[in-house]
Amino acid sequence: MLKKRKEAKKNIENGNEQEKKIAVTVKDLHIAYKGLQKISIRSHLLKLKPIKKDVFEAVRGVSFEIEEGKILGVIGRNGSGKSTMLRAIAGIFSADKGRIDLHHNTVSLLSIGVGFNKKLTGYENIYLSGMLLGFSEEEIKKKEKEIIEFADIGDFIYKPVKMYSSGMYSKLAFAITAILETDIMLIDEVLSVGDTQFKKKSYDKMRELISDDKRTVIIVSHSTPTLLELCDEVLWLDSGKVKMQGDPKTVLDAYEKEMNG
Amino acid sequence: MLSMKLFFSNIKKYYRYAIRSAKAELKSEISESYLNWLWWIIEPLSFMLIYTFVFTVVFHSSETYFSIFVFIGLTCWEFFNRMITGSVRLIANNRDLVTKVYIPKYILLLSKSFTYLFKMFISFALAILLMVFYQVPFSPTMFYFFLILPVLYVVSFGFGLLLMHFGVFIDDLKNLTNIGLRLVFYLSGVFYNIGDRLKGTLKYVLLRGNPIAFVMSEMRKVMLYATGPSFEGLIIWFVIGIILCVIGIHIIHKNENSYAKVI
Repeated sequence: MLKKRKEAKKNIENGNEQEKKIAVTVKDLHIAYKGLQKISIRSHLLKLKPIKKDVFEAVRGVSFEIEEGKILGVIGRNGSGKSTMLRAIAGIFSADKGRIDLHHNTVSLLSIGVGFNKKLTGYENIYLSGMLLGFSEEEIKKKEKEIIEFADIGDFIYKPVKMYSSGMYSKLAFAITAILETDIMLIDEVLSVGDTQFKKKSYDKMRELISDDKRTVIIVSHSTPTLLELCDEVLWLDSGKVKMQGDPKTVLDAYEKEMNG
Repeated sequence: MLSMKLFFSNIKKYYRYAIRSAKAELKSEISESYLNWLWWIIEPLSFMLIYTFVFTVVFHSSETYFSIFVFIGLTCWEFFNRMITGSVRLIANNRDLVTKVYIPKYILLLSKSFTYLFKMFISFALAILLMVFYQVPFSPTMFYFFLILPVLYVVSFGFGLLLMHFGVFIDDLKNLTNIGLRLVFYLSGVFYNIGDRLKGTLKYVLLRGNPIAFVMSEMRKVMLYATGPSFEGLIIWFVIGIILCVIGIHIIHKNENSYAKVI
């Protein structure tokens, strides 16, 4: 009894001590594309020797932590493993080594959009995508109107998604992820979705989402001004490894210097 | 064991998604055709008429209640056939989904299986109407239907899981399964009675070794001929089905997050 109480007290003390709660822990993350090419039975039978495995390691040993409510920017040249890492955090790719811990937070990947079933209507896809992001039907019902309004695609919402223009598609995708808010948001490239009007609307919405101090955000971008403006911390990836991590100004200055030098 | 625990917690978490997605899919299937939901009835009925015509008029088949005999066989076959063909390309067909959000992949198969189950139930409802029409005498053995159905489902789901996994990596698996299915179709006795037509080891092997032939013949026994099913066979196939499912679930847990890298 006494022991239990002591423990409980200790826990409370610990809780006060470390006010910063970690939202994302990435430890020694390795992701490789290897030996996973499709095979056909013919080529398999003809070659008696095992097929040469073509290993490409996109992410090689990245570790970092983010506190809850912080905004982390990720920068690096093309092919440095940024998007791969983001997808792994979203749970789409598996890590070959190392681990990712989201501490039971919900996560969504903005901008490449949620997966739609193209045969179904936009309306039905709102529900299906929402449920895959971990929301219940009731929760989505409450937000349904807001999503449809934000997407602003008129009667097309009741038509099959395959009839959508690419602009409408991304507008709906953005509306779903932006209105159904998750604890952790992953943003791949600052959005350039739809026409000028929608672009402004989505940018404003994004600013609003990011500024919520409960929400943890990871932004991948090539634009140093945007990252400088939005982020609390910046991670510089170079060929799958962390080259530098820290205060946005320091990291971004160094990055710019190398890119231009 | 851990794998199964995760499986059940995932089912609990995603079953509403699976149901909703199945409903939406059924709706979308009919929304673009003129006769919409009538197709779910017209299609199985026409197949039944074609087979009945060919085998009574052309081949002079003499089974009792031949139309219903064919219809029950066809209904079981169609479910299995749809599960197998549906699962081979399932991941590739859901590329948009799989590359953008995490979902336990067997949920896709589960959802698909719901749509197939729905169609099968319509088919069975028609079979019962036909039985009333042809005045098949009622027998309490008909309730064994509810015992045979789970066996068919579990076996189909088990094979489906395995094919879904290998279908991701092996491009021409679809062609192979098509050939395999055609073979199984003719060996399953959809329009002939294996028990009467064949003799000796071949009959034994086909009836026992081919789960679909077995399920079909059991279904006909209890529905048409007022005979009880072979419990021993049902249990054996149920257990095999469960084992297939467990293996499939384990393989999918281990590999599912690599699918997005391949397709």
